[in-house]
Amino acid sequence: MRDRALRLAGVGRGITVLALLGLAGVYVRALKYTPLELSQGAAQKIFYVHVPAAWAALLSISVCGLLSVLYLWLKDRRIDLAAAASAEVGVAFGVVMLTTGPLWGKPIWGTWWTWDARLTSTLFLFLLFVGYIVLRGVLTDPGVRGRFSAVIGIMGLVLVPFIHLTVYLFRTLHPAPIVLKPSAPSLPSAMLATLLSSVGVFTLFYVGFVMQRYALGLLRELREEELAGAAR
Amino acid sequence: MPPSDPVIIATALSRRFAYRPVLVDVSLEVWRGEALLLVGPNGAGKTTLLRVLAGLLRPTAGHVERRAPIGMVGHEPMLYPALTARENLRFFARLHGVDTARVAELLEQVDLAHRAHDRIGTFSRGMLQRMAIARALVHEPALLLFDEPLSGLDAAASRALVALLAELRDRGTAMILVSHQLEMLRGVGTHIVRMAAGRLGTVDPLQGRDPVALFTALMREAS
Amino acid sequence: MGAVLRAAWLIAAKDVAIEWRTKTAFASGLVFAVLVLAVLFFSRDPTVVSSHDIAPGALWVTFTFAAMLGLNRAFLLEGELRGLDGILLSPAPRSAIFWGKFGGNLAFVGLIEAISILLFVPFYDVPIWLRFGELLLVIAMTTVAFVAVGTLLSAMVVRTRYAELMLPLLLLPFLVPPLVGGVQLTAGLLDGRPLSALSGWLKLIGAFDVAFVTLAALLFQVVLDE
Repeated sequence: MRDRALRLAGVGRGITVLALLGLAGVYVRALKYTPLELSQGAAQKIFYVHVPAAWAALLSISVCGLLSVLYLWLKDRRIDLAAAASAEVGVAFGVVMLTTGPLWGKPIWGTWWTWDARLTSTLFLFLLFVGYIVLRGVLTDPGVRGRFSAVIGIMGLVLVPFIHLTVYLFRTLHPAPIVLKPSAPSLPSAMLATLLSSVGVFTLFYVGFVMQRYALGLLRELREEELAGAAR
Repeated sequence: MPPSDPVIIATALSRRFAYRPVLVDVSLEVWRGEALLLVGPNGAGKTTLLRVLAGLLRPTAGHVERRAPIGMVGHEPMLYPALTARENLRFFARLHGVDTARVAELLEQVDLAHRAHDRIGTFSRGMLQRMAIARALVHEPALLLFDEPLSGLDAAASRALVALLAELRDRGTAMILVSHQLEMLRGVGTHIVRMAAGRLGTVDPLQGRDPVALFTALMREAS
Repeated sequence: MGAVLRAAWLIAAKDVAIEWRTKTAFASGLVFAVLVLAVLFFSRDPTVVSSHDIAPGALWVTFTFAAMLGLNRAFLLEGELRGLDGILLSPAPRSAIFWGKFGGNLAFVGLIEAISILLFVPFYDVPIWLRFGELLLVIAMTTVAFVAVGTLLSAMVVRTRYAELMLPLLLLPFLVPPLVGGVQLTAGLLDGRPLSALSGWLKLIGAFDVAFVTLAALLFQVVLDE
């Protein structure tokens, strides 16, 4: 199992390098080849990082939630490790989202932060998964840790649509959804293309990061087992 | 009373705590009227085994078939300090579906009737232990699990408990006893088994032999 | 089903009896409620912010934080002499433990809310009597939401060393939909708007209740196992 973990980490690293190249390409495209947005100017370009980061964070939470259900059913610790990896990567993307957001907001809205529904809800989802990681840190028995993490993961996943609904019911400063909404996305095609390529790159990042984190987690568990066995 | 059928059957039980194996492939059967003395060094897994048999802990592998109601006296009394002795026993009686008239009977049996209306948070260690025994007996279980039942009891209370255990055994109640005070349980035990490093040895029927002597021999054999 | 209800009732009644006897969580919850209501009232500039404007927020902050003080105690009292093990050894169905704790917590939080409202009226001078029935409905639905999630989470964190820190950390995100809804509905009702105009929020909280009470009850079994 150790060799497979090491190989997986290697593949993960390769994918991450690919994603980095892709990211460079997206930056070039966004800055040079995509038209400037009318009312917001250059600051709007952060959109091409902020939105894909949000997408990746959402993907992380969803995968974590689904893996949590699977873990409670199959009880395979590798599923727990994968769910935890996804959650951690999600928190990382959450940081990107929560920093690019204010960076975008300051020139446009004149303020770093506002307690509007979307921002608040996002912040709280982020805090929940920080809590997930803290909880894992505090629980030592892998069985208890896996089960409790799975409970949070599942509840977090079910929470997401409710948060989305709360934001929808509460109209605010935050731009109304322009991509994920019932009618067709109202973005001109050049911008849409840049956005979608960025989303693709961030998805690659997600896969690369999760592979490496999972492999690391598995190696660590194998080591703990070895040490516990040797101590007897 | 001749033993009739097993009240509990444990098969290949294993349990790990944070990667450490604590129970390794333990299989056991206990029959009516048997009093099994479970002996072994600290850390052998005796408490864990009792908790798994009681259903308080899930084994990592293996299976327990419980054929009769179980009562347990563990390291903790399993009671509520803010409630009185009577209230505690009434609560557990109701949970077990037993008539609350039994509570007065139990309090008499463990000699705590005079403290029935006192909060058990004020009780001494020995009194809490007697309360725990009353709680374990509330539903007249067919199998009793005892983890250091004599701890905290003075000489008189110990003798009373030993007499009670012998009587219960004669009436067909099965029991597993973990205790460091084997000399006191001389008259009670019918079988003995040793546990070490998570593994269970073979169950040895005492057949009139002195458990203390056997235990010393077992310990010497192991080292 | 009957067995579950009976055992749940026994457990809830036992919890209420214990809390009534010791009154520790109740006292601190109440003191906290008075403090929050008073501080929020006196910390504003009355010429700029009317009591009417901050009333819904003040009420809900009071409810939530006083509730959190009480949620941990439901499982702490089980740990003192391991009473919970006694319950697990009995034939009581395990789901009854969740419903019993949930019921006990609702009673506790409900009592604090009732007293808070009594204190609220003189301080904030809002016409709650006009919409009392509807307000009660909103308060009940929102309370069910956070007590259900809080009961499950407190069962998890009670065995960690940082229970008082972990409970708010994990619970807060789950409070956002019901709390935002609760405040919006309270504000709307106090402004004189009909309940039908606020139906979106009501449906949100209703759906949240159904989803999370069910989820909490199901996942609780997972949390009970050691």
